[in-house]
Amino acid sequence: MRWLALLIAFIILAGLGTMPLYTSNYIITFTLQIFMWIALAESWNLISGLTGYVSFGHVAFFGTGAYTAAILITKVGWHWLPASLMGSVTAASLALLIGYPCLRLKGPYFAISMLGLNEVVRALVSYFDSLTGGGSGITLSPMNSILPLYYAMGGIALAGLVITYWTITSRFGLRLLSIRENEVAAEAMGIPTAALKLYAFLISAALPGIVGGFYARYVSHIEPLGTFPLITTVTMIVMCLFGGRGTIFGPVLGATLLSLFQEWAWARFLYIHEAIFGAIIVFVILLMPRGILGVLQQRYRLPRIV
Amino acid sequence: MTIQITGTMLLQGIVSGLLSGGVYAMIALGMALIFGVMRVINVAHGTLLMLGGFTTYWLFALYGLNPFFSLLISFPLLFLVGLLLQRFFVSRVVGAPELSSLILTFGLSIFITNMAVMSWTSDYRSVEFLTGSFLLGPIAISKPRLVTFSFALLITVAAFLFLNNTKIGKAIRATSQHRELAQVCGINVRRIDMITFGLASGLAGAGGSLISIMFSVFPEMGRGYVFKSFLVIVFGGAGNYPGAFLGGLILGIVEALTSLLLSAQLSEVTAYVLLVVLLLLRPTGLLGGRT
Repeated sequence: MRWLALLIAFIILAGLGTMPLYTSNYIITFTLQIFMWIALAESWNLISGLTGYVSFGHVAFFGTGAYTAAILITKVGWHWLPASLMGSVTAASLALLIGYPCLRLKGPYFAISMLGLNEVVRALVSYFDSLTGGGSGITLSPMNSILPLYYAMGGIALAGLVITYWTITSRFGLRLLSIRENEVAAEAMGIPTAALKLYAFLISAALPGIVGGFYARYVSHIEPLGTFPLITTVTMIVMCLFGGRGTIFGPVLGATLLSLFQEWAWARFLYIHEAIFGAIIVFVILLMPRGILGVLQQRYRLPRIV
Repeated sequence: MTIQITGTMLLQGIVSGLLSGGVYAMIALGMALIFGVMRVINVAHGTLLMLGGFTTYWLFALYGLNPFFSLLISFPLLFLVGLLLQRFFVSRVVGAPELSSLILTFGLSIFITNMAVMSWTSDYRSVEFLTGSFLLGPIAISKPRLVTFSFALLITVAAFLFLNNTKIGKAIRATSQHRELAQVCGINVRRIDMITFGLASGLAGAGGSLISIMFSVFPEMGRGYVFKSFLVIVFGGAGNYPGAFLGGLILGIVEALTSLLLSAQLSEVTAYVLLVVLLLLRPTGLLGGRT
């Protein structure tokens, strides 16, 4: 069973790794976007899927990473790869600043603080225009080939997956799940809930920080409105919920299916996919709270580790 | 850029802050009621506010109805919308883990907002009804702000009277104090939930109507108000309804003074910093309350 799983993983990785050799540029770009969404959905899963603390502002970390990378590339002359990795440091620092006061408290304090965070970071980015270019943003010189980014984004998606796997199968993950199920009881058992929530949140914020850096390099131009859209957070949430929150492969499944759907819907109706995402969120919460993978897990007795 | 800040300017800032704060307080009261009774933070509160704003806008644009008169329509209309939302959606997640209600109302708000974008486009529209200001000594008072403040105050006072003196109001307060005990005393808490949600939506809708007189009307106009209302609740202390009123006034003043002393862009940032500091130092709110 274990060997079979490893074999399948190897085949998929080999397939994705050699894909640029035999597919069109369109498919590569599209797959790159799926990688991005997988990494983002997994990052949301780490805090919200596991601990049950809802982050409504994950795009703030994404945007912070994007701006960190863009500034380091244009003002300091860094290569985009280390610049993007630095994005995780700034994103995690921001997470520490917000998480420390808000995660000590129970209740919706964290969720709503995150809802406001996005607007605040955007306002700050617009305000410090000597560094960030204000409303007109930052333009990066164009790239010759998208392939390095394809592999980088694939790598971060894989890293997100591995981190989630490691978390869910470890003591750390079990403790996070105990917070989701009953925080008071978890605390009574001696689990340091506040610290663990903060650790999960920091990891969860670092990932979109890096992804944001790659995104900035990918689109070559960032400005406040396009870098902090609410719809990015919505998309992360709906992908994770739809696939199955708190599972390892749920976000992957959700990201892939909904990216395909988005690609299909976008060509036909411009605004409707956002409304449909809202409807899917409502539908999943009311009728399928465990997501697709959760339902399959229950029905076919799949192992907890999927 | 250094401008001499005079005492008059400070006073001016405080006065305009108080005037917007009254509207914040009314909107936040709705959110505080839902939170108190059901332990649900309604992330769609701002969306309901937007629907109220559009009600006023369309009545004004199509029929030339006086925006203040349209409060009599937007409040009951949104009361009904809230009642239905509670009946068919939110009631299913009352008592469930927080994640469910937060994400459910978030999904509802995304859905309704985008339906509004599709039906009415995301254009900014305005209700030009009352403009200008008058001087009171050295201080300029904007007419629309003063009138909206008075209406907000009137509605808030009416809501307090309702909560304190009517049987249903008392049942609402009883449910928010202890749900099970209220049930044991013969209160139909499901019904109270519906009335509370309706009342809260009505307050949000009335807020939208009033805001449409001062600012633009567009599908995403309500987004900032969820956070603002929450801030007001935290300032006042959760479950402390008079505290929410004080919280609204504080938020208004903080925003106005930030615009005056730093930059209008940063008004949200200071409010946010204040929230984080408050959560660190006094998580139960300025006046105290239940967490």
